[in-house]
Amino acid sequence: MFYRDKLSFEDEEFKLKVGFLHFSSCSGCQVAFFDMFEEAVEILDTVELVYSNMLTKRRDLPRMDVAFVEGALCIEDPHHLHLVKELQKKAKLIVAVGGCASFGGVRRLSCGNQLPQPQHQSFVPITEVDLVKPKVKYAIPGCPPNPSLLYSFLLALLEVNEDFLLPFELMTFSTRASGMDIFAEVVNKGFCVGCGTCSTACPTRAITYNYECSRPAFNPGLCVYCGSCLAACPQSFKPYPQPTYT
Amino acid sequence: MVALNSRFLLGKYREAFLVDGKGENPVKAIFTLMLKFGLIDGLLTASEDGNSPRLILKAEDVEIPVRNTCFGVNSLLKKAVQKYRLSRLAVFGPACTFDGLNKTQYFGIGCNWTKTAVALKVSFLCPGVLTDTAFLSEVVDITGKRAGVSRFYFQKGELRYQLKNGEEVAVPPALHHRYVNSACRYCLNMAGKGTDLTAVYLKEVNRALFIVRSERGLSTLAQIQRNSPSSLQFRKAGKEDVDELLSFLKEKVLLNISDIIERVELGLPVPKWNDNKLRKFYRIWNSVDVNSEEEVF
Repeated sequence: MFYRDKLSFEDEEFKLKVGFLHFSSCSGCQVAFFDMFEEAVEILDTVELVYSNMLTKRRDLPRMDVAFVEGALCIEDPHHLHLVKELQKKAKLIVAVGGCASFGGVRRLSCGNQLPQPQHQSFVPITEVDLVKPKVKYAIPGCPPNPSLLYSFLLALLEVNEDFLLPFELMTFSTRASGMDIFAEVVNKGFCVGCGTCSTACPTRAITYNYECSRPAFNPGLCVYCGSCLAACPQSFKPYPQPTYT
Repeated sequence: MVALNSRFLLGKYREAFLVDGKGENPVKAIFTLMLKFGLIDGLLTASEDGNSPRLILKAEDVEIPVRNTCFGVNSLLKKAVQKYRLSRLAVFGPACTFDGLNKTQYFGIGCNWTKTAVALKVSFLCPGVLTDTAFLSEVVDITGKRAGVSRFYFQKGELRYQLKNGEEVAVPPALHHRYVNSACRYCLNMAGKGTDLTAVYLKEVNRALFIVRSERGLSTLAQIQRNSPSSLQFRKAGKEDVDELLSFLKEKVLLNISDIIERVELGLPVPKWNDNKLRKFYRIWNSVDVNSEEEVF
């Protein structure tokens, strides 16, 4: 974990400097992050929030250990271009939070020419930007990701729980995700058990459950490309240490 | 080499009990009693024919799947946890239901705060699930006649169906293997490792074998006994009761392993983000060390 190269947790003063950066999104991921309620108290003594467009007054971007990034980069927005350059310099590790930052999300449907900023036409997830790609270590799916997932993720990051973090590391290499993945990656490959977890994970009901064939049913018109369905599917990656053969 | 022993096939367990209910299925009886005494506030399972998921909130509405068809149970998870705010939920289904549930609990993906909402996980010993049409075809293959399946059970290490016309037929594992859901052909967790309790349906409708895996499972059964001592009769299962099951599981798991090996050798695609789980098994099949980890959340 390179974000703690020169730091030691034995140092009582150590606090992980965390920032929350906002690109083009609804800010729902950031709200979900601050929605951890009492669980957040447990980690407040080890984490310091140094930057957030919602909770801190700073206008300049300070140096930080972990930058949580929400939203897709808008190519036509000079502020975004400046922010991504700053991000590359100031953050040691970047985590793409939510569908927009990880896989494009609902921004995949944007065609621009809309009020109030018709010039904003093209959006790219942070995992596809070469400048910061080497630092984007993890991608968290969801629209927005559950507060419990974000809490567990932050805890795993502090504890360096690689078992937990590994799937999120693999997701950074997958720049496209949609409900169609459930068919292409699970159903068509003969792995669907018909448990219905994907349909419960879908935030927009694009995936429902077809009782006749005991398989998920997908309505592409409702999909926001957040990747929740495939991430939640027990067949997409190892569920948890049960049972393993290593 | 992976040893096809009890630990691998059935998983770790604390006790096995033969349970008799008073004229009804003991699995149904425990859920009814738990709801009645407030030990749980909801039951997530499927309808009796297993075709549609059910969220049950009242003791008098309890029904459980009695065929090896149990689909879509987790599709009601969000409704149970986030809409109805249930915090002591019991879940009943095959092991794959709990793969999804455990993953949701461990990672927090899918349904918020599931980690603390589930009070009891009960699986049934699943020989592989079938759809309605697969059942019909399988029965035609076995008996040469068209008939629906009303329930499945195990008897002396044999999988058997009770048909809707009252007839009872033995189902050969090799034939059954051809009709099950394709994902069930790669399953190595038929006994529901990772749950609190595994129920095995037996010939007598009012009898079942309970394989209790966790402290939570034991204490729940103890509470049911304390609250209603005459409803269920428990006695410790003998070694032969468990060994009979092991012989069936061994035969079925060997069929599944041969399908996994075939799949890997053919180089059939696996999902992205999957950490190569089948290939990993393929490698370990010929290795010497095994470390099975199990955890109940």
